[in-house]
Amino acid sequence: MTDLVLTRDLPAPRRHSLWSDLRQIAVDELWKYRELLYELTLRDVRIRYKQAVMGFAWAILMPALIVAAGTLVRFAMAYMGGGHVARDVIAGMAVKALPWAFFVGAIGFATTSLTGNLPLVSKIYFPREVLPLSATFAQSFDSTIGAVTVGIALPLLGIHYGLAVLWVPLLAALIFCVTAGAALFLGCANLFFRDVKYIVQVMLTFGIFFTPVFFEPRMFGPLGARLMMLNPLAPLLEGLRLSVVEGHNLLQPLVIAGKKGAVVAWSPWYLAYGAAWAVLGLLVSVVVFHRTEGKFAEYV
Amino acid sequence: MTGAPRIQFEQVWKKFARGELHDSLRDLVPAAVRRLAGRGPARDELSGEEFWAVRDVSFEVRPGEALGILGPNGAGKSTILKLLTRILVPTRGRCAITGRAGALIEVAAGFHPDLTGRENVFLQGAILGMKRSEIKTRFDEIVSFAEIDAFIDTPVKRYSNGMNARLGFAIAAHISPDVLVIDEVLSVGDMRFQQKAFDRIQELCTSGIPVVLVSHQLERIASLCTHALLLERGRIAKRGTPTECIEAYLESARNSESAASHTSALTFDALSLESELPVRSGERAQFRLSGDVRPASDAASRDFSLRVRALSTGRLVFSASAADCGASLPARGPFEMDVELQFNVAPGVYSLELAVWDAETRRDVVAGPGVTVQVEAGALTFSGTSHLLPRARVVAAPSTAAGGSR
Repeated sequence: MTDLVLTRDLPAPRRHSLWSDLRQIAVDELWKYRELLYELTLRDVRIRYKQAVMGFAWAILMPALIVAAGTLVRFAMAYMGGGHVARDVIAGMAVKALPWAFFVGAIGFATTSLTGNLPLVSKIYFPREVLPLSATFAQSFDSTIGAVTVGIALPLLGIHYGLAVLWVPLLAALIFCVTAGAALFLGCANLFFRDVKYIVQVMLTFGIFFTPVFFEPRMFGPLGARLMMLNPLAPLLEGLRLSVVEGHNLLQPLVIAGKKGAVVAWSPWYLAYGAAWAVLGLLVSVVVFHRTEGKFAEYV
Repeated sequence: MTGAPRIQFEQVWKKFARGELHDSLRDLVPAAVRRLAGRGPARDELSGEEFWAVRDVSFEVRPGEALGILGPNGAGKSTILKLLTRILVPTRGRCAITGRAGALIEVAAGFHPDLTGRENVFLQGAILGMKRSEIKTRFDEIVSFAEIDAFIDTPVKRYSNGMNARLGFAIAAHISPDVLVIDEVLSVGDMRFQQKAFDRIQELCTSGIPVVLVSHQLERIASLCTHALLLERGRIAKRGTPTECIEAYLESARNSESAASHTSALTFDALSLESELPVRSGERAQFRLSGDVRPASDAASRDFSLRVRALSTGRLVFSASAADCGASLPARGPFEMDVELQFNVAPGVYSLELAVWDAETRRDVVAGPGVTVQVEAGALTFSGTSHLLPRARVVAAPSTAAGGSR
């Protein structure tokens, strides 16, 4: 019989510091379980394409529908205003519809990723971060197919790619960070409060009216444009459109003279603002997620 | 010192709440306000609906040791397993596993019904912490262990329950862990697969890694574990060898059954073994018991049962009433009685128990003392649980076979 009776004092509770938490998440959890992240992403992708008649067309359907809806809206606006819908307007919408579809899809799946995998969460240990993250990665797979399609389609609409296209990887990474941050936060929130998923549904349905997908922020005038840009996704989507469709270097401001004064259509600060949301949002979400993780099995 | 894989549990407490937790944002707001106002309970204290599921439990399991945890339902066994496997976080204290933990718990939890068996093996393996390359090398082994070779590329939703469980077990049983935690998954599949699963578990348990096993099957604990804990309402009620703990477990189960009434006329004072230990299989052993009969009782209410139980399994081996054994008690007053039993049983640890059984309520009304008997291999050679005094002779045989002797 070993000395089973331990008389040592209770170890002091582990002190959380932001740095130690982040290190633990990155090294002990995500890196060690990177194969699990891969497997779960693969699972989500497989399930989506199994027993699905549409196959890969599915990846293009959602953005295509968004573009169609946007074209309809812009056509009505142009009809009232007495103009016509230019081809680069449609191209701009296509560029923005894709990341929006990515955001909606990823958040939709990620919000219920923890509650939907109940047997896993309550029975087996693994870093729970991988569940909302794999939902986000699986959606990126779809969006990559969409991106390739759009990339091929744009020249057909008369768009010539300039050097400014080099901004795309950075913007895509930032959009991924914003989405991943929201995915972690909402997945975790929905585990504790089941009404979160209904709120998220409503937000995703109407979010498109508060995000510049169908229109450009500058259409709202000097103040309206700034307010529109407060949406963390707005500067990232608008930056994508400017760099891809208009070939605008994002380090340069873009001021357009309007009827009610000059409108700042773009400023490098917008990019900084969007980037700050992406990075800080992800950090905060990851830490919140990590610190509540221990209670998941009890609350789920 | 810290390098060797081990399981440590240091003064662990775990609190749970009865009833519902806040499930919607609507409930959170009032609770948060209360906490901000300083009226909420402190973290370590119990509030109205809370209780301790695990109270001050400490143990350590080192390489080569296998700890069995037993106790009635609700004693905290599963909570301890969940704390060990990091699914739950202790309210106080510390639990740690050094090395890669393998868990044989709810083995098919990660399966996705739409994926094929092959895809699920990789998925479940990754969930359990295996590397892809590792799963690849063990893939054939897993599939043939589960005996589903022909169906490995069929979606799991078309599997039978048994196939599902077998595949789940096969994956979990092939993780080559540094430490192993086992819940009662031993009852997987049909009888033949159960035996196979048990053999595999035995193999893992005796491979020198630290093991924690939770089971209601006392037999399993007795045969697999080197140490044991008896849990009662979250506390450690007893620690020792598996046999000691099983004995204590059965004892407490007996007491809680009989605590209800004292309507019998009989009380027992002592029971002792008069023969020398160990008793050899097939030999007789003498016992002496003493008790008291209260006056004004009829013969029927003065009867009691003698029972022999195998401690390793908790199974009743023999039970007979004293009257059947030829002893009738005096109408009143203290008595002493000699009992002799022939232990035609397999080697092991047994206990002799005395009890008064009420035919109406079908329960023990008085539980007497028990005595432990160690039985060792003796003159009788047999395997199984009891010796049935066999007698065999050949009555027909081909005549040519015996030709030489004619």
